[in-house]
Amino acid sequence: MASPVLGRVVATENRPNTPHEFHFWTALDSPVGIGTVVRVDGRDSANGVIPRVFGIVTEGFSWTDLASPLHDVMGHDGQPGGQTLSPTERAEIRLYTAAVLRHIPEEPLQPVPMGTVFLADEADVAIALRMDGYLKEGSRTGIPVGVYRAGGTDAPIYLDADFLIGPEAAHLNITGVSGLATKTSAVEWLLQSIFTHFPEQKGSVAAVCFNVKGPDLCFLDLPGEIDDNDRMLYAQCGVSPTPFADVQYYAPYKSDGVALNTLRSNEALLENVTPLTWGLREVLQYAEVLLNKDDIDAKADALIDFIKENVLDKRFSDSMLERPHTVTSFADLDAWFKDVLRALEKKDDQSWRTHHVATIRKVRNRLSNISLRCKGLVADDGATSDLPFGSFQDRTVYVIDVAGLEEDAQDLIFARVVTKLREHLEKRDLGVQHVVVFVDELNKYAPSDGPDTYVRKMLLDIAERGRYLGLVLFAAQQFRSQVHRRVVGNSGTALYGRMDGDELATPGYAVLSPAIKTKLATLEKGQLMVRHPHFTQPVFVRFPRPAVMRGRDGVSKYPAAQAPTLHSAVLRTLRQFDPGLTLGWLQDVTQLATDDEILRARNDIVRTRPTDVRKVFSAHFRAAVAPRTAARPDAPAPLPSAPSDDPYGF
Amino acid sequence: MLLRLEGRVHSSEAGDVAVNIRLLQRRLATLLPEARTAGAENTLELGFQSNDAPRLISATVLEGGTLVAREVRGTPEPGFRAFLDGTQRSRVATYVGTSPVVHGTVAAVVRERRARRMETWGTPLVQSRLYVPRAMMQSSTWSVLRAEFGPLLVDTTDGEADVTSHPLALRDAAIHRVQAHREAVEQRLAEQWCTTESDALFVDGGISGSEQVAQSAHAVGVVKSHRTLYAEGDALGVVLSLNVGERSSVFRITSSKRTTVASWYLRLRDSAGHDPMWGLVRAEMALPGAEGMPRIGELADERCRWLLAEVSPLALPDARWDKMVYGVRDCEEFLRAIQ
Repeated sequence: MASPVLGRVVATENRPNTPHEFHFWTALDSPVGIGTVVRVDGRDSANGVIPRVFGIVTEGFSWTDLASPLHDVMGHDGQPGGQTLSPTERAEIRLYTAAVLRHIPEEPLQPVPMGTVFLADEADVAIALRMDGYLKEGSRTGIPVGVYRAGGTDAPIYLDADFLIGPEAAHLNITGVSGLATKTSAVEWLLQSIFTHFPEQKGSVAAVCFNVKGPDLCFLDLPGEIDDNDRMLYAQCGVSPTPFADVQYYAPYKSDGVALNTLRSNEALLENVTPLTWGLREVLQYAEVLLNKDDIDAKADALIDFIKENVLDKRFSDSMLERPHTVTSFADLDAWFKDVLRALEKKDDQSWRTHHVATIRKVRNRLSNISLRCKGLVADDGATSDLPFGSFQDRTVYVIDVAGLEEDAQDLIFARVVTKLREHLEKRDLGVQHVVVFVDELNKYAPSDGPDTYVRKMLLDIAERGRYLGLVLFAAQQFRSQVHRRVVGNSGTALYGRMDGDELATPGYAVLSPAIKTKLATLEKGQLMVRHPHFTQPVFVRFPRPAVMRGRDGVSKYPAAQAPTLHSAVLRTLRQFDPGLTLGWLQDVTQLATDDEILRARNDIVRTRPTDVRKVFSAHFRAAVAPRTAARPDAPAPLPSAPSDDPYGF
Repeated sequence: MLLRLEGRVHSSEAGDVAVNIRLLQRRLATLLPEARTAGAENTLELGFQSNDAPRLISATVLEGGTLVAREVRGTPEPGFRAFLDGTQRSRVATYVGTSPVVHGTVAAVVRERRARRMETWGTPLVQSRLYVPRAMMQSSTWSVLRAEFGPLLVDTTDGEADVTSHPLALRDAAIHRVQAHREAVEQRLAEQWCTTESDALFVDGGISGSEQVAQSAHAVGVVKSHRTLYAEGDALGVVLSLNVGERSSVFRITSSKRTTVASWYLRLRDSAGHDPMWGLVRAEMALPGAEGMPRIGELADERCRWLLAEVSPLALPDARWDKMVYGVRDCEEFLRAIQ
């Protein structure tokens, strides 16, 4: 059935139509609104073809035949309530401005012709947004991002995987005010959509998500509450309303080194939670992350390089030192520094191997400080428990919970993980071909102003080169205008949730019409404005709530475990490798051990993952002598009694 | 809706050439090379001064013995379902010698009120004519025009006893004929309404020109112009001093060329600070039969209540807004839009 006429294109000398913009009027009760996609059927043919133009409504106007508001006041004797007495409503117009999405035929590109306006149906929306190019059977690369809804038309909106995950373009940026823009929910939904629709022929994809606040991403593998409307959206987008099937969690220990520093610490959920601990080697590679420019001058840098090249993981000997050193941990490094400084003091010398004593002291101070600032993440003993670089699994989410960490530790984790991802992707040995890295609070990590930190440089590098490697950045922030221009500028796809008025007043939003800005400032939860390379204009979509348990629901249902004792915490970790272990066995084995020795043994088990956990763990401790009951010695032979006639006997 | 209207308007008997003055001028330049095309002049109606002298006419009062002021009983209530108005526009297309060839377009529409919104009822009429003083033309010229425009050609000197060659007089003669044409198309629509509908129609202007309309119970004519006042002596003072919401006694208007109708004056708006005719209209309705005559005051009051309900919204910015109701302005705006 032919769709009803919605409006008519109009143009005046003062308000002409152009190839990129046109105007049309509608009936007063038409379902048109800002963001509605419409189709114009031209009246006259060009080159034998009746032109069709697709547009999206960007502005609306309404007026009556009143020449002056005063006339209306006079007409009602200054009584606003008198309006209801008027038998006639004034003639009124609804005039809309639409931005052109597409001309068919594309050439010759002419001003939008006079014609009849129709609501776009689902097929029209696909053509208007150029989605028809990547929704063809056999070469389909569409990733549903939500559903366009207007005037009774429901049409799934697809992003092109080639432009979302790469290699043509890549990266996604989402912005909006806290709490209302549903940035995290949008990314969770989109990841579900990617995992469902990412084409097999394009390879494998995984996601690494940094949980930077509260329990936001801590329950992605548990079902959440959704309603019928959400289910309908899921159905329209062809995504199953289920939580993520494969999620792995990583969290450092708290500063006591016993309990994991995550809100996902409930006993029932620890099955897929892995400690994240790094040793000296891992940290020293990224010392730059933790040391600011004041710390690292050329001299200090030279000393750190010397340590990395000549001391770390090698047997280092020097005639001046008391003994050879093999530095594999912060404790070893501190011992090495002490030996060097002691030797200098003994010789009363100011430099050692061209390094001034003040530089040595400074670097020692800064590096030693790292293990304190990042306690829980950095192990003194060099133990390492890391993400499975090299064996990443397809369609798996790896969540790294850094919410409870100091800023330095967050930076360190972020820098190292992303760098490792990049290294492995460059070598094509990560395990998957594409990784989506989700980073929230980009205002903090890649601000447009402030110091040029390692993390920001790294984010810039991903934004500019990541698409060639399959390293894709999904970033979120509250204020897009305050994020480095090259980071947001390289994001092929941009999502906008509810926006702050001040933010919308910044120059970056000047291209949006006042009506679009107003809509952005009042967007409901679950609505987004989408910009994508194929879309010549932004389009508004609705997306379902992610079918995963919300953070606060998870915390309520699975409250964080009480601070465990050392033994129970260690046992919990070891049971992941050997569920048959008991607390009694652990207590027996560690009877004579210090807390540090127990933790070191645990870290070794986590790092090496031996098949015989009991044997390897026990081997770390001195054998305790089993208590034995002393055997009663044989009774000595009774002394012979004195002769009865012995006068001295008694 | 507009597309449908356009089709109807463009298919009016005037034809496309006659509708568009520019096309007409080009055509005339081809047909009459000696003619001198007129410039972009204003419509002739703007400069037209009616030759009718203001006059007072005594009328027979039908309600009581003398004409008095009467307060309209009851509160205003909407009673009109539709409004009828027409427009005319005349321009000199060309001069043949010193004689103007005038292009005149008339239009009329009934706008129906549905759910407080105005919509077009039936088919609006738009017609154009070419007004030429035949007596001032060579016969060959007239023949050429006749062959080209046929029935659309109107002789402005036809039936005139005293023909002058003064161009302004010839223009005025054309305007009079355009005016008559407008009244004719208005009457045609009014007659259609009165034939097919059973609700009240607000007619802008008098209704006595058409017998069918003048005798219909569904038409109320409202006259804004008062060059002829149907009151003399004390009655004139009564009419000009009516307060807002007051009407005069009903009187009868009789004319040899027109149908007799009942009429009265009504003050729509307070004229304090304005001239005495500010907000004053004269209403016309069908003269009731003998059995209805005792109720003529009630009938007039009912029409007055309908009229007083139309004082809002204002017809501003039209300069005649004190007497014009919004429905009539809507008709004019509509006709302006489709011409």
